[in-house]
Amino acid sequence: MRNTATVIGAVLVAIVGIGVVCAPLFTSADPLALGPDRLLDPAWDHPFGTDDLGRDTFARVLYGGRVSLVIGLFSAALSVVLGMTVGMLAGFFGGALDEGLMRITEAFQIVPKLLVAVVVVAMIGSGLTNEVLVIGLLSWPGTARVIRGRVQVIRHEEFIAAAEMSGALWPRVLVRHVAPNVMSFLLVSASLQVASAIMSESFLSFLGLGDPAHPSWGLLLQQGQLFLDEAWWLTTFPGIALAATILGLNLLGDGLR
Amino acid sequence: MISVVARLLLRRALLAVPLVFAVVALTFFFIRLAPGDPAQILAGDAPTPEFLAQIRAEYGLDQPVWTQFLAFLGKAVTGDFGTSLYTRQPVFTVILERFPATVLMTGTAMVVASIAGILLGVASARRAGSHIDTLISGASLLGYSMPGFWVGQLLVLLFAVSLDWFPATGMEAARATYTGWRHVEDVAWHMVLPVTTLSVFLLTMIARFTRAAMIEALDQDYVLVAEAKGASRNRVLWHHAFRNACVTTITVIGLEFGAVLAGAVVVEIVFGWPGLGRLFYDAIYRRDFPLLTGAFMFSSTVVILVNMVSDIACALLDPRIRR
Repeated sequence: MRNTATVIGAVLVAIVGIGVVCAPLFTSADPLALGPDRLLDPAWDHPFGTDDLGRDTFARVLYGGRVSLVIGLFSAALSVVLGMTVGMLAGFFGGALDEGLMRITEAFQIVPKLLVAVVVVAMIGSGLTNEVLVIGLLSWPGTARVIRGRVQVIRHEEFIAAAEMSGALWPRVLVRHVAPNVMSFLLVSASLQVASAIMSESFLSFLGLGDPAHPSWGLLLQQGQLFLDEAWWLTTFPGIALAATILGLNLLGDGLR
Repeated sequence: MISVVARLLLRRALLAVPLVFAVVALTFFFIRLAPGDPAQILAGDAPTPEFLAQIRAEYGLDQPVWTQFLAFLGKAVTGDFGTSLYTRQPVFTVILERFPATVLMTGTAMVVASIAGILLGVASARRAGSHIDTLISGASLLGYSMPGFWVGQLLVLLFAVSLDWFPATGMEAARATYTGWRHVEDVAWHMVLPVTTLSVFLLTMIARFTRAAMIEALDQDYVLVAEAKGASRNRVLWHHAFRNACVTTITVIGLEFGAVLAGAVVVEIVFGWPGLGRLFYDAIYRRDFPLLTGAFMFSSTVVILVNMVSDIACALLDPRIRR
């Protein structure tokens, strides 16, 4: 059962990944090119129909995935690195440092991160870099807590004592002996973080904070909202791509656990 | 009992108050961080020189940063979030006007999600590994993977546009003014789709965590003892196991409340619900920064308070957490 779920997850991620990365192989349409055929139903020429400016939705979904995935990957990378650093330091040193870092982590967990992201992006301006920074800087607490818990266990293993007794300084112990032992947890965390970052990005874009020059899936859904009662394809297809990606990553993450 | 509650309240308040201060400080920091002159940000895109001067004086923007922060803090904690650039009303008044609609929708969704999530989680745990469990777990993972606003859009496409069973937007019928019971019915009718949409996320979270907590609880010795004493299956399940598992459920509800409120923002946009969410959207769209930061400080405080309440509830239910 668990393996089946993992395989389904891997297949979903692979399909989306191939479609998005090799987008030019699947469509010759330009996602930003305006056309004369407005709000066309899905048909052979336009498998996912066209939008109000005659742009091909299939191409927009494929290329939009690039934006969503890039933002997801980069902000997840940032949050995983941050979470791992905080978690390892807190778990390894314990005491006042642990107490302080955990209070900060809790504060970040309680404050509604999506609303913080909305305010920041609205004020400092949208754009891919800002979105990545904001999502990455707000999403590390989960990873930090998992890693801290694991490090607290490893901390008392003999090989750590052995490394310390042989004169290794704490940075070396952390990097060479502790880090390799939390890698499996990090992999799970990373895949769940990518899913959550893609979700956060779609939230920001849906609120009108996306970058119109780089339309992501969330931005497509925001545009689709305006034509909900005339063009079902504008919301259905980008949403399926988005949900399939997030579901795939969540299944993978659960399976790796 | 009362002294226990009082002590808990004090302990949690000691954690919550600094958090609220942190939120206000963070907001101040964002206003300073934003490119351009803070006075310009608070005064809108094309302010008159007089209004700009007034804002500068009001927030002490010619003073050192620390004085500015204290002025901002003083105003914020007394509920003075400034004036909305668009409506020219005090931001706090605008927020309070919209808040009831959001409370109605979010509160109903939380009740629905809690009941359904707990029932599904318990049903799943009681037959762990069975087909039903697989089905429930799979469905909840799917629900958890769909952005809330997209669920809403799909429900509108299916139940409002295609089938025309429920209204797609608004909180009450636009053309009729109902009173009394008819009005309640009308609002309830408009609530069906948005509440269902908003419930999906929380419901799946509650089902997932309740299932895990129940499986753990059912494995404990006290469950074995209860069964040996001849307690009925349902009594063991609810009286013995769930009473321990529900601490996890309440913790999840508290921790996810921020996400639920954020979800309410987008769901309100999909369904044109006249609450705080629309306010956020309009504030972003019109670059009404006092309204945006005010709505942010207000909703963050609500989230912090809900967390405090859920912490206290957990401590009352589980003496081990009380300390």
